Amino acid sequence: MNISQAVKMALKSITGNKGRSILTMLGIIIGIASVMTIVSVITGSNKKTMEQFQAMGTNKVNVSASRYDGRDVFDELYNYCNGLGSDLVLGVTPNSQFSATVVYGAKNSAVMEKNQNQMWGGQSGDSGTTAASTELPPTLYFGSDQYAACNNFRIKKGRDLTQVDVKRYAQVCVLGARAASTFFNYADPVGRVMQVNGLPYTVIGVYAEKDPDSQWSLDNIIVFPYTVSRYLAPGTQMSEFVVKASSADATTEVTSRLTGYLAGLIGNQNGYYSVYSDNQSQQSMNEWATQMSLILGGIAAISLLVGGIGIMNIMLVTVTERTREIGIRRAIGAERRSIVIQFLIEAAMLCGIGGIIGILLGCMGSLIAGKLLLKMTVWPTLWITLSAFALSVALGILFGIYPAAKASRLQPVEALRAE
Amino acid sequence: MLIELKNVYKIYSEGLESEVRALDGVTLNIERGEFVAIVGQSGSGKSTMMNVLGCLDIPTHGDYLLDGVDVKELTDRQLSHIRNRQIGFIFQQYNLIQSLNVLENVELPLIYQGVGAERRRDMAIEALNQVGLAGRMKHKPSEMSGGQQQRVAIARAIATKPPIVMADEPTGALDSHTGHEVLQFLQKLNKAGSTVILITHDNSIAATARRCVRLSDGKIVEDHLQEVDWL
Repeated sequence: MNISQAVKMALKSITGNKGRSILTMLGIIIGIASVMTIVSVITGSNKKTMEQFQAMGTNKVNVSASRYDGRDVFDELYNYCNGLGSDLVLGVTPNSQFSATVVYGAKNSAVMEKNQNQMWGGQSGDSGTTAASTELPPTLYFGSDQYAACNNFRIKKGRDLTQVDVKRYAQVCVLGARAASTFFNYADPVGRVMQVNGLPYTVIGVYAEKDPDSQWSLDNIIVFPYTVSRYLAPGTQMSEFVVKASSADATTEVTSRLTGYLAGLIGNQNGYYSVYSDNQSQQSMNEWATQMSLILGGIAAISLLVGGIGIMNIMLVTVTERTREIGIRRAIGAERRSIVIQFLIEAAMLCGIGGIIGILLGCMGSLIAGKLLLKMTVWPTLWITLSAFALSVALGILFGIYPAAKASRLQPVEALRAE
Repeated sequence: MLIELKNVYKIYSEGLESEVRALDGVTLNIERGEFVAIVGQSGSGKSTMMNVLGCLDIPTHGDYLLDGVDVKELTDRQLSHIRNRQIGFIFQQYNLIQSLNVLENVELPLIYQGVGAERRRDMAIEALNQVGLAGRMKHKPSEMSGGQQQRVAIARAIATKPPIVMADEPTGALDSHTGHEVLQFLQKLNKAGSTVILITHDNSIAATARRCVRLSDGKIVEDHLQEVDWL
């Protein structure tokens, strides 16, 4: 007997008893749908997290260091990092936040801040603030010419900070994409002059957008040469730095070397220092995600197991019901093998059809769960879909083996005697 | 010699107190082209005889040579092949598969033989033509009368053109008129060269066969040629 005949026969038997077939498939349908949804949502959430890490920049070592006597450590840090060589370190920059009032035309960062505070403080009543409330004040940073390289920014318009800007205390700044659109809408900001704490600063460039989705955007920044801190924030010490390592392995190496260096430079008596890399938090995120997928996957696997046992149960009933038919088939020449194949294919098809329905439901479930939990469009990949289908067919075969073997072991004479 | 039973026993629960000797030392030879009626009352062992002759069951003791081959030595798979190619079965209860239509039922032994779809269909239709039912091949067995169902069963038995046709009480569930037609058809098959073995409890039905073998308590008590009651 060939396979296409067996498939036809199985289809006939499945469609001949639709109600029971659907009830039997229900376990597989629910199992496959939940596995698909869980896997898709976890994959989507991992992807989103990875994208965020990518946007922030990988292989970053964040250094915080300050001395009680107020002397800046940047020059020493810079020299030390340069000494490590380019196969370990790709760049080093201050990364210190500061606050100042930035004004261009009618746009004023102090006003934006006030509006935000009102919104979050719940002081309503001033209806004029709602229109402006989407504008968040930019975060201001002091950086070096390597700021962009360290933080994974790319210049889109104009030029980046240079060593000359830093050395000459140039009154210039570079805008992140969000800050540029807040202050200049669609106009070209390059060459315009902004007032920062009342001092004129020329916009020399704009970074490309890298985090378009989130409201508290990484793009809502303005970067100044760190040397102008003497004008904008007199007396501040550069205490936050970013060192960009060349690879994941180099990150570990650089982290430990910097820790050792700063221990010698500052020590516990003369100041404070800490060194950590995003790779560490990234790694623990990944571990957490793996654990989550194992736990949820395990629950889904149990539901699939229950579905599979349901299939086995109903196939055993089918074999009992069709004992006489099996006897007839054996009498007119069916080999044991033919009987096994017939029932295996029937179980596999039952599960396969259930699997297809489960996949459709799983796609819908992924979309809904993705929108609700992650606020993004999650769509099962082709790989997940194909594996889900293969899994359901494999379950059918696995749980069909026992009933099929039982059917084939029936003695023709006894099977023919059955009612 | 087509069929040789040599001192064959079929014993259930052997050695126990409840031991039943369904066949108790049977020796029987059947030549190619014979029409043999095996007659006996219920419990005489005639159904067991048919199961053994039809390779559905293996004798407990003794030898059964079919076309010179000792059945005891064959594997389950080889027995399936013999049932498929050498023997056509006709049962009292027709034993059609209810979920398949008439054509599919007749095609079934050809499917197990591995005949291709087109040739299979032609052979099945030819067999249905012989029993006069080619016009109803899309019907389900449940939509037909008992006589028609038995004719479908006959078509299934002869679709593979087996050398041996075995009929177990083929008229048992039919009225006398349709029963008559079935027996007539068996005689026709025999004339065309098939070896026919008819199992029945009814002497008047046994009279349609050239040779009559009578069983009682698992033993052959009578084996003689007789005047054929041509239908």
